[in-house]
Amino acid sequence: MNRLDLEFQRLVALRAFVAGMLELKWLRDATRFEIAMRRHEWAIKAGFNPDQPRVPKGNSDGGKWSGDGNSSGGPDGGDSDSPEGQGGRPAGSRDRMIIVKEIARRIVQTGETVVTIARMSSWLQTYSAQINTCNDPPKSLDELQRAASTSAPGYDIHHIVEQTQAERDGFSREIIDGPDNLVRVPRLKHQEINGWYQSKNDEFGGMTPREYLNGRSWKSAGPLDWKRSKSTGF
Amino acid sequence: MKNLALENLSVTELVNHFTTLALEQYQAELRDDIASYNRLYDKIVLIRDALKERPGDQRRALVPLLGHPNPQVRLKAALYTLAVEPKAARQILQDISDRNEYPQAAYARETLAAIERGDSRLT
Repeated sequence: MNRLDLEFQRLVALRAFVAGMLELKWLRDATRFEIAMRRHEWAIKAGFNPDQPRVPKGNSDGGKWSGDGNSSGGPDGGDSDSPEGQGGRPAGSRDRMIIVKEIARRIVQTGETVVTIARMSSWLQTYSAQINTCNDPPKSLDELQRAASTSAPGYDIHHIVEQTQAERDGFSREIIDGPDNLVRVPRLKHQEINGWYQSKNDEFGGMTPREYLNGRSWKSAGPLDWKRSKSTGF
Repeated sequence: MKNLALENLSVTELVNHFTTLALEQYQAELRDDIASYNRLYDKIVLIRDALKERPGDQRRALVPLLGHPNPQVRLKAALYTLAVEPKAARQILQDISDRNEYPQAAYARETLAAIERGDSRLT
């Protein structure tokens, strides 16, 4: 076996190892999420009250229930297992958004209500509008366009035909920002559709939709965006 | 992928590699890391093509991945087995769509709609 073959075999072995590790990591994350959901379910059943006073930060038992609420403190009745302590607000916004996205998608799949989910951890409550709107039922184009005249928590205003493309095609700001080209959509879905525009896609022969639309007319872009919006569920 | 000569890998190794890359894509999408997502897309296409070129079109070796717990692995396996195992692949796309497994559900619906219209690039 020559040196090249040895190097090749080493790389193959390394790849197989990485594959195993990634699969384990994914299963670990999925299991953690399941455990968090179960604990949360128990907490709700045990009468968890998010408004119950807690010992202030800085004390040795900071964060624990102060005992004057009506909850037993957790599924096993122990203070140390409070729902607040199970979640743990991630320090990085990217990590927080990963959890928010996972929870929002879980709600869409299972139909669990946002109130239930938001009780899981207090930091998540600040994202409850984004999580909640992700579960909106599908709306007509007309409904989404009419809603664009007012802003609301958890929603973004989306340009049906992307602004850069429309400007390049010589359309005025008046048309680009006009009521026909604006829709109000759930923020997380908006992020999904923006990601889709930039992601390589098999149905576009490996191009991104943005590359596909390059040089095509406004008439092509609008229906394409709308079709994707329907697939995304809003 | 530059360091790995795909033609020297066994079919099993290619399938394992495919799984790894699809799992990485799942993570990249969650992180909104589109650049990584697209690089992984290219690598997955190379593996699909390597499988297709094997005697007897070994894309069928991806069929067991249709039962993978991760939705991105299932989606990619379904998209690339449409040409060789259309019935099973379409069923998985339909399942992903029915279960609202976003964002994979949107890609699945896109392909199912293209198949209905008769202009899918994957069949």
